[in-house]
Amino acid sequence: MKSLLLAVLAAYLIAAIHSILAFINKRRSVQRVAEWSMALGFILHSAALIADWAIDGHYPLFFMRETLSFLAWALVAAYAIILYRYKAQAVGVLAMPLVSVLTFIALLTKTGSQDAPAVFSTTWLFPIHTTLLIFAYAAFFIVFMASVLYLLQERELKMKTFGAAFHRLPSLTTVNQLATTFAIFGLTLLTLGIATGMLWSSARDGRIWHNDPKEIFALLTWFLYFFLLIYRSSASWRGKNAAWLGIAGFALVLCTFFGTRLLGGYHVFGFIGAQIEPQASSPARIAINNLETSRRGRLRSE
Amino acid sequence: MSIVLIGVNHKTAPVEVRERLAFSDAACAEGLRSLVDGEIVREGLIVSTCNRVEILSSTSTENIEHGTARITQFLDATRQLPPGFLGQHLYSHTDDDAVRHLFRVASSLDSMVVGEPQVLGQVRHAYSLAVEAGTAGRVLNRLVHHTFRVAKRVRSETGIAANAVSISYMAVELGKKIFDSLKDHSILLIGAGEMAELSARHLLNAGASRLRIANRTPEAAQRLALEFGGEAVPFDQLSASLAETDIVICSTASSDYVVTEEMTRKAREKRRNRPMCLIDISVPRNIDPRAGKVPNVFVFDIDDLESVISSNIREREREAERAELIVQSEVMQFQQSLRLMDMGPTIGALRQRMQEVARAELEKQRKNLGQLTPQQEEALEHLLMSTVNKITHPVLNQMRRFYEASDVETMQKLADTFGHDE
Repeated sequence: MKSLLLAVLAAYLIAAIHSILAFINKRRSVQRVAEWSMALGFILHSAALIADWAIDGHYPLFFMRETLSFLAWALVAAYAIILYRYKAQAVGVLAMPLVSVLTFIALLTKTGSQDAPAVFSTTWLFPIHTTLLIFAYAAFFIVFMASVLYLLQERELKMKTFGAAFHRLPSLTTVNQLATTFAIFGLTLLTLGIATGMLWSSARDGRIWHNDPKEIFALLTWFLYFFLLIYRSSASWRGKNAAWLGIAGFALVLCTFFGTRLLGGYHVFGFIGAQIEPQASSPARIAINNLETSRRGRLRSE
Repeated sequence: MSIVLIGVNHKTAPVEVRERLAFSDAACAEGLRSLVDGEIVREGLIVSTCNRVEILSSTSTENIEHGTARITQFLDATRQLPPGFLGQHLYSHTDDDAVRHLFRVASSLDSMVVGEPQVLGQVRHAYSLAVEAGTAGRVLNRLVHHTFRVAKRVRSETGIAANAVSISYMAVELGKKIFDSLKDHSILLIGAGEMAELSARHLLNAGASRLRIANRTPEAAQRLALEFGGEAVPFDQLSASLAETDIVICSTASSDYVVTEEMTRKAREKRRNRPMCLIDISVPRNIDPRAGKVPNVFVFDIDDLESVISSNIREREREAERAELIVQSEVMQFQQSLRLMDMGPTIGALRQRMQEVARAELEKQRKNLGQLTPQQEEALEHLLMSTVNKITHPVLNQMRRFYEASDVETMQKLADTFGHDE
C-alpha cells in the first residue's frame, strides 16, 4: 500500500507545484498539468483507500494514518468541485500543498500492529460518523482558504496596491460564495456527524455525551459556524468580519482534530494501538474499558 | 533571396520626423510602383501609421546593399527630405532581423502600449495596398500571411491584451474583481460627462443590467437615459439611489463632495453590507475619500485608476516576454519555409528534367513497340514516370535535408550531379 500512496503523493506534489506555477505565470497549459495530475492522484488515492479497506478488513478511517489520508482525499474532492463550479484555481495554491503535506504525514505515520477493534466495524454507525466528520473538516478547510483569499483580495482593493496578486486572486463575490457554501456543507455534515456519534455511543454504552475535549471542541466549532452562517445570512457580518470568523473557526477545527489527541479522553483511539492487549479475547472491549477506567480515574482525581 | 526592412518608429524618431515620412494611401501605391523595379527591389510594402513608417521589401541576397541604398534614396526623394535628415532615426533590418521586427510590430510588441490591437489592422491595410499596387510577390505574400498567424498566436496564447489600459474600461475591470460577473448588477452615473458615458457603455456591454443617471441638469440625464435605455433619477435623491446601486461612476464638475461618507454609510446599511464599488473620475474629487473606510465600500479615484492601468501594463509586459519567445520560434519556422520555397523550383526543375529525359528515350524507342492499346500506353507512361520518381526520390530527399541544414552548397552539388543548372 505504501508504494501506491507514494505514487499518490508524487501526483499531488506535481499538482501542487503546477498550481503554484500556474498562479504565478497564469499559463493554462500549466494549470492543465496541475488538474490532470490531481485527477490521476485522486484516482490512485481512491484505489489505495479501497485496497486498504479490502486488505485490512476495516473501513479505512480509523488509525491516524488513515484519517489523514482520508482527509487529504476529501480535500481533493472538494477542490475538484470548486474547480468545476467556481473555476477558482487560486484555491489550489493553498489546497494542493496542504493535501500533499497531509498525504506525506500519512505516509510517515506508523499503523499500530493491531487491527482495528471489531466493535468499530460491526456497526455502520461508526464509519458513517467518522466519514461525515472528515468531510465536514474538509469543508471547513475550504472555508478557511476562501477566507484567506478574501482577506488578501480585499486588502488589495482597499489599499489599492494592485500588485500581481490583484490580477490572480478570484473576485470577492466568488470567494465569499465559496466560503458560505462550504460553511453550510460543513455545518450540515458536522451536525449529522455529531448526531451519528451520539447514536453510536448511546447504542454502545447508553451515554450520548462523555464530556471529553473532542466533544467539547466539536460543540464549540458547531456553535461558531452556526453563528457564522446566521451572521452571513442576516447580513451585517458579510465580508471581512465573516472572513475573520472563518479563520477563527478553522483554529477550533484544528483543535478538535489534532489538539484533543494531546489532551486525551474518550475519543483517543486508533493511533495508540499499544494500549490494546493483543492476547485478550476481545481486545476492543478491553481497550475501551482501559480508556474508560483511565478517564474515570482522571475525573476522580480532579 | 533576402528581406530588407527600413523605417522609423516612435522610439527612434520624434513626431516631426515621422510626419514628414508618412504616406497617404495614394502616395503609398504610387511610391511602391516607383520603388519596386523587379531587379534590385523585387517586392515592396509600406506600413505607415502615426507611430511608424516602415518599408518592407525583398531583394536578391547579393543586392542587399544596393536595395538598402535604393530604399533610403527613395525616401529622401519622394518625401523631399534635406540630406542627412533621416540620419540616426532610420533603422534597417535584413533577413531574420527584418522578419522578427515585422512579427513584433504586428503582434504589437513594438507598440507604444504593448498589446493594443490596432497595429495588426494597419499592417493588413498596408498589405492590401501592396497587393493592389502589384508589389507583393511570392516572398512578401508568404511573409505577411505568416505574420498574421504569429499575431493571432501571440494574442491567443499570451495575456498580452488581457488587461485593459484605458480609464473608461477600469470600471469593468474593478467591478469584475469585486462582483465577479457584472450580470444583474446596477450602475449609477452621477454626472453625464463623456468619460462616464464611455464607462457606462463598457459596463453595459459587460452585462450590467440596470443603468440610472443623476445629473444636475435633468435634460442631460434624460438624453443619456434615452440613449442607453436607462432611467434618469433626480439629483437630490442621490442617497436613495445609492442604496440600490452596485457600481457608481461619478464625474461632475462640482467643486465639493457629491457623495459623502455619511451617504455611503447609510447606503451600506440599507444594502445590508453587500459590497459597493464607487469610481470617481472627477477632479476635484466628488466622492469623499473617507467613504473608502466604510467596510465593504470600495472607492477609487482617478489616481487609483491610473495605478491599476500601470499595473496592467506591467502585467502585459510580463506577458510580452512570453510573446517574444513565440516570435523567436516563428522566425525560425519562417526561415525554414522560405528556404523550402527557394528550393521548390530547383527540385521541381530537376524532377521535370528527369521526366523529360525518360520521355525522350521513350520517343526514340516508340516505333519499335508497334501498335499499343490506350491501356498499354498508359501503363508504359506510368512505368517510366514511377521509375524516374523512385530513383530521384532519395536524392531529392537528401537535397531537402541539406537545405534544411543550411548546407546550400552540398545541395547545389547534388543538383549539379544531374546536370541541372539554374
